[in-house]
Amino acid sequence: MSKLALGFIPLTDCAPLVVAQARGLFAEEGLSVTLSREASWATIRDKVAVGALDAAHMLAPMALATTIGARCEPTPMIAPLALAANGAAVTLSQPVASALSFAEPTPQAIGRALARHVRERAGQGKPALTFAVVFPFSIHNYALRYWLAEAGLDPDRDVRIVVTPPPRMVDQLRTGEVDGISVGAPWNTVAVNEGLGRIALRTSNFWRGGPDKVLGLTGAAAEADPARLAALLRALVRAQAWADAPANRAELIALLAEPRHVGAAPSAIAAALDDELVFLRGEVAVPRLEHARWLLAQMRRWGQVDHRVDPGLVADQVYRPDLALEALRALDLAPAMLTPPNLLFDGQGFEA
Amino acid sequence: MRVLVIDPDSARAALVAEGLEGDDRPDVRRTARFDAAEVAAYAPDVIVVACDCADRDTLESLREADETNPRPVVMFADRSEPGLAEQAVRAGVAAYIVDGLAPARVRPILEVAMTRFALMQQLRGDLAKAKANLESRKVVDRAKGLLMKERGLDEEAAYRLLRKLAMDKGRPIGAVAADLLSFAGLLKGDGA
Repeated sequence: MSKLALGFIPLTDCAPLVVAQARGLFAEEGLSVTLSREASWATIRDKVAVGALDAAHMLAPMALATTIGARCEPTPMIAPLALAANGAAVTLSQPVASALSFAEPTPQAIGRALARHVRERAGQGKPALTFAVVFPFSIHNYALRYWLAEAGLDPDRDVRIVVTPPPRMVDQLRTGEVDGISVGAPWNTVAVNEGLGRIALRTSNFWRGGPDKVLGLTGAAAEADPARLAALLRALVRAQAWADAPANRAELIALLAEPRHVGAAPSAIAAALDDELVFLRGEVAVPRLEHARWLLAQMRRWGQVDHRVDPGLVADQVYRPDLALEALRALDLAPAMLTPPNLLFDGQGFEA
Repeated sequence: MRVLVIDPDSARAALVAEGLEGDDRPDVRRTARFDAAEVAAYAPDVIVVACDCADRDTLESLREADETNPRPVVMFADRSEPGLAEQAVRAGVAAYIVDGLAPARVRPILEVAMTRFALMQQLRGDLAKAKANLESRKVVDRAKGLLMKERGLDEEAAYRLLRKLAMDKGRPIGAVAADLLSFAGLLKGDGA
């Protein structure tokens, strides 16, 4: 048995790792896996970089940013599998949500209403609204910023964006420390169920099937043992297929709700799974180069990386759809052909 | 030099702080949670943070969050100190220095923190072991009592019997005693 240590953050989309372990899928692929629940994304990044973890549940942009060395020591990473799509959202606090008026709850209409509210507050001399995101390099940060910018706001001047660990966001919404949160499942539903806020933008409305989490590991670890990586990917793909099956939903929810995994109410975990979150269905598991290029373009747009960084080169180095497809083919789950990724809510594509 | 230790584990934070208050006496403050206002007021030169502290991500994004009042904080993973960042991560400690401080000055601080983290882990391990020993002694006493009652043995004979069983099976005496108790319970119909 090949030994592996895998890290995860308590979020619904850590399911592929948790399921593969609980259902013995790692063992069936000849892997002896230890799962390690981590407290922060920075710790996931550092532990993977130094080899204290062999691979991890990782924010898709983190694999790219770590390779470039954006605000950290550069370590070449690869993303050979996308773990899930959809499920993240922006939730506005009850006071802010009640202050908005719009005819149709489309991302554009809510965004414009929010922009009017932000300007009114500024006119009245009130402090800027504060939004919490999970990490600087995350779809949660980029979707929020894109949406605010599309509504005519400057995310760096008109509002304040801070970073807060996912399990702490609901508390901050309750105490009024923040006015909005941009976070993955199940935390938006937890906030809504407690009457603390309303969901304003789901990433599935922002970009259906857009990138969220990937499996991340160092390029060196991948090269050191390609057979072990292939076995790991097969186990995870089988777990993704199991997690997508409606017949397994109740068991999946119970597993994720355990304190050693996500540790949230089963009803809150159920919501995103019922509505939108998918792990494998269609082409979700294939990390798309177009996604990577869009994420890199956002990093440049918001000044996180140097303009000399070539999104195409970095995307090709980090994103490895070939490895995902190889695992899918081995399991007879490969899509016949890859369709072009969906457009954003405003009809924009994502050429970097 | 001012050092801020952020660790949700207050006993461990105290141990680290105690270790740092040594010869060149940096000013050390410790806190369970990151608080931006507190950090701004204290203005530390170095921040030592436990890797199992969820606030690391908040800390790391300070530059992004406070454009109006930039307090540049960088992770201490300097190439001039090869291997140090790796050792620290494995030990469960991360450190950030505020720009302007020579990275070399952080090395002794990080080393103290790493040593103290290891010490804490050892202390906790010893405590768990002591608890397990105590638990095993209790189980042995109960098994002895059972043998004395059921077989009419005196205490020493009961203990000799348990010890012989343990030696025959090549297992710890506590484990043999626990088996004996659970079988006795089963025969009486407990939990079956």
